[in-house]
Amino acid sequence: MAVLDIKGVSKFFGSAVRAVDDFDLTVGNGELVCLLGPSGSGKSTLLRMIGGFETPSAGSITIDGDEVIHLPPERRPTGMVFQSHALWTHMNVFKNLAFGLKLRRLPADEIRRKVEDVLKLVGLTGYGTRQTHQLSGGQQQRVALARSLVLEPKILLLDEPFASLDQHLRERLREEVRDIQQRMGITTLFVTHGQDEALSMADRIVVMRDGRIEQVAAPDMLYREPATPFVAGFIGTMNLIEGEVKGGKFVRASFSHPLPIADGPAIFAVRPEALAIAPATGEGAARIHRVTDYGTHGLVDLELPDGTRHKAMVSEARDWKAGQPVTLAPRAFAAYRDNAVAYRSSTAS
Amino acid sequence: MAAATTYREPRRVDWAGIGFAVVLTLCIILPLLVVGTWAFANVWRYPSVLPQEFGLRYWNATLARADVWTAITTSISLAVVVTLISAIICLPAAFAFARLQFPGRSILFFSFLAGQAFPKFGLLVAIAGIFLQLNLIGNFWGVVLIQLVGTLLFMIWIPVAAFQGVDRRMEEAARDVGASPLRVFWSITLPQAGPTIGAAVLLTFVNTFYETEGAWLIGAPAIRTMPVLMISFINNQPVIQYGAVLSVLLWIPSFFALLFARRVISGGSFARGFGA
Amino acid sequence: MSLSPTSDIVGASKKSGGLIGLLLVAVPVLLIGWMIIYPIIAAVITTLWLRNDAGAYVFSTQTYRFFFTDGYSLANLGLTLWTTVVCAIILLVVCLPIALYLRFATGRLAVYVQGLAIFPLFVPSIILSYAFIRVLGPNGMLDILLNAAHLPKIRSPYLTPWGPVIGLVWDHIPLTVLILMAGLGSVSDASIEAAKDVGAGPVTRLWYIILPRISNSILVAASFAVLGIFSAFTLPYVLGPAAPEMMGPFMQRTFRDLYDPPNAITQAVVSFGFCIVFGLFYVRSVVRNQRAR
Repeated sequence: MAVLDIKGVSKFFGSAVRAVDDFDLTVGNGELVCLLGPSGSGKSTLLRMIGGFETPSAGSITIDGDEVIHLPPERRPTGMVFQSHALWTHMNVFKNLAFGLKLRRLPADEIRRKVEDVLKLVGLTGYGTRQTHQLSGGQQQRVALARSLVLEPKILLLDEPFASLDQHLRERLREEVRDIQQRMGITTLFVTHGQDEALSMADRIVVMRDGRIEQVAAPDMLYREPATPFVAGFIGTMNLIEGEVKGGKFVRASFSHPLPIADGPAIFAVRPEALAIAPATGEGAARIHRVTDYGTHGLVDLELPDGTRHKAMVSEARDWKAGQPVTLAPRAFAAYRDNAVAYRSSTAS
Repeated sequence: MAAATTYREPRRVDWAGIGFAVVLTLCIILPLLVVGTWAFANVWRYPSVLPQEFGLRYWNATLARADVWTAITTSISLAVVVTLISAIICLPAAFAFARLQFPGRSILFFSFLAGQAFPKFGLLVAIAGIFLQLNLIGNFWGVVLIQLVGTLLFMIWIPVAAFQGVDRRMEEAARDVGASPLRVFWSITLPQAGPTIGAAVLLTFVNTFYETEGAWLIGAPAIRTMPVLMISFINNQPVIQYGAVLSVLLWIPSFFALLFARRVISGGSFARGFGA
Repeated sequence: MSLSPTSDIVGASKKSGGLIGLLLVAVPVLLIGWMIIYPIIAAVITTLWLRNDAGAYVFSTQTYRFFFTDGYSLANLGLTLWTTVVCAIILLVVCLPIALYLRFATGRLAVYVQGLAIFPLFVPSIILSYAFIRVLGPNGMLDILLNAAHLPKIRSPYLTPWGPVIGLVWDHIPLTVLILMAGLGSVSDASIEAAKDVGAGPVTRLWYIILPRISNSILVAASFAVLGIFSAFTLPYVLGPAAPEMMGPFMQRTFRDLYDPPNAITQAVVSFGFCIVFGLFYVRSVVRNQRAR
């Protein structure tokens, strides 16, 4: 039960590289927040600074109001789960889990009880005497999680813990971790570069780019109302059409659409499922370049006369064929200017 | 009526392998077998193909010699002292090279190669020239010093590789659950790097035990190690069996090296350490 | 065994880390400086600046002039060069086929051959010398077997220049094979199969595909052998002729038996000179290898 407060945290490598730049975030009690971003966005560096493995160049990190920035990792109330599980291969599962408890000088029977409890929690009852190399990848990652949980940290930090697992296992562990986290009500920060992972687990998602926050929002809001073109493109698929607004109208090549904002450059953003197309009689706004049939739906690649490509989702792929001219009718859309939302259509779903 | 024939992959005989195996066995194993046989021959007169009488007579005779026992204790104490000192000064240095950032790290690391660019015995003579002025000739500690220098490269480079092979995340995970840096080193880093470091220590002990040239040049005649005694047996001892028994005794440390350090040596990294 | 950049684990302050690092490596580094680098420099200086009658040090090439005009010294040098060249050639001729075989063979026989090839690493050269005498020496095992087969005795290589050659080759087989094998490891199966595919026979494959790839390893193996053989002591001392003798025993005798350190050190500097190219090449290869990883 703890609140993590990050204020103005920066990390510079040398004078040129700003891995994390003036970062602010508050993670509430029992909340699971995902740090989502492409590699190199600074999310892992931020997590390592919270865990104490990197020293921030500036800023403050408090847990329940206590400043931890000057504490080494062993004196921080945080528990970290690493991408490569980082189990100690010269110890068996029990010893891996008991190591931290022994350092706290707990009596042997209490250590045994706690280890058994946490093994049960992660579904590995009876695995204590196994060597780490005798475990499957998923089991190893569960032990790594248990190793952190057994110490009842105030803040749980997960650094892409499922990255080395296959898709199926990843989805199962995702649910398990979410269940455990909610049952224990443990404040958690989770780093990932997979949007599925973030969308399916997080209470809130922090989208990061170049060490800065692009947007902090609940998963549903992030998809429906991305704050910047970067977030729009990073979460799901988004057609981002760069063009000009003139007299209340957005224009790019043969595509135009009413847009009630001041004249100037803008990015017109529309998701494939919100872009309706219709057969054109004449030239049309675009031409179909390719049709892909996914069974449940179809995806149409459109080409504007200037060569730029965009996507539209259709319910029946067989109704369309390559080369066909079409007109475009966005049902819901947004417009960005200066890296911020300039307009959002009211029908945005 | 012709029987239906199915294609069968021809059985290839590995003639090259058989050839190498036979020649190498003859050239490498046979000479050592002859020495082993001599050690257990009470009587073996020319031109009999096998000894006339087997037995342990010369084991008793060899082990009754005072010079043999002096040589054994000298060799063991030299090897133990050199290995200990080498471990004490090299392992912390190896850790520093592997994990700490300090000025001149790279050039200092490669400075241990300096001795490799020169023919060894020439170097020993040059060192002996210095020792002469320091009165270290014929002195136990002179031999310790010269053998110690010979161990530095292995005792630094192999442990550096071992320390670097330890996953940093393991150490961080230990810090995370509350271990101090010293505790991490003791409970995580050392056990993880342990087997390789153990092999390096064993190799150092064995190499020092067999180091002949430095011991001969610096130590003789006061310091007589087993290899040095063996040289004098070869040169001056008419009874063949004494040398044979001493050879078998002398081989014991190598046998342990063979048992425990073979993995390190057969692994490619060992040969690459020699610049391959 | 490479040096990768370290990152701070706790953000321990870099400055104190630097000082601690230097302190930890100080003793071995100082030992190298005092016992390797200083003696080499001192050897060159003390043999070139000699004390004259007045007690002052003057530059003089006298010891070197003596070495290069003295017939016995030159004979020793000649024998050493001959032994080194012959050993290096034999080593390559013997070890290259073994390494090639081990690179491409699989199965238990290959494991056995590899075990045998590496085995001499675990036999100290003094035991080897003794075994040599017992097998190839007068009335040795070979004589016994020849006699049993009613064949004439051989002329024993013991105490001839061929004695050290046989012993040194035996001694250097393991590391030569290991170095060559490491080099052959970088020749991919695909490149050889591609050569087979375009119709290259075994000889063509060896000459145009394999050898060019491992030429550096061959040079490294040769350099390593030259450095080890040029100033070998034990094997030539025990197995070789009394005169002329190889540089190792020659230096030892000059230093200890003739109590003539200046001339012994001169001989050492001369052998440095003859090996310096191989030594520098060898060290450069090791450094380059380390950096590559």
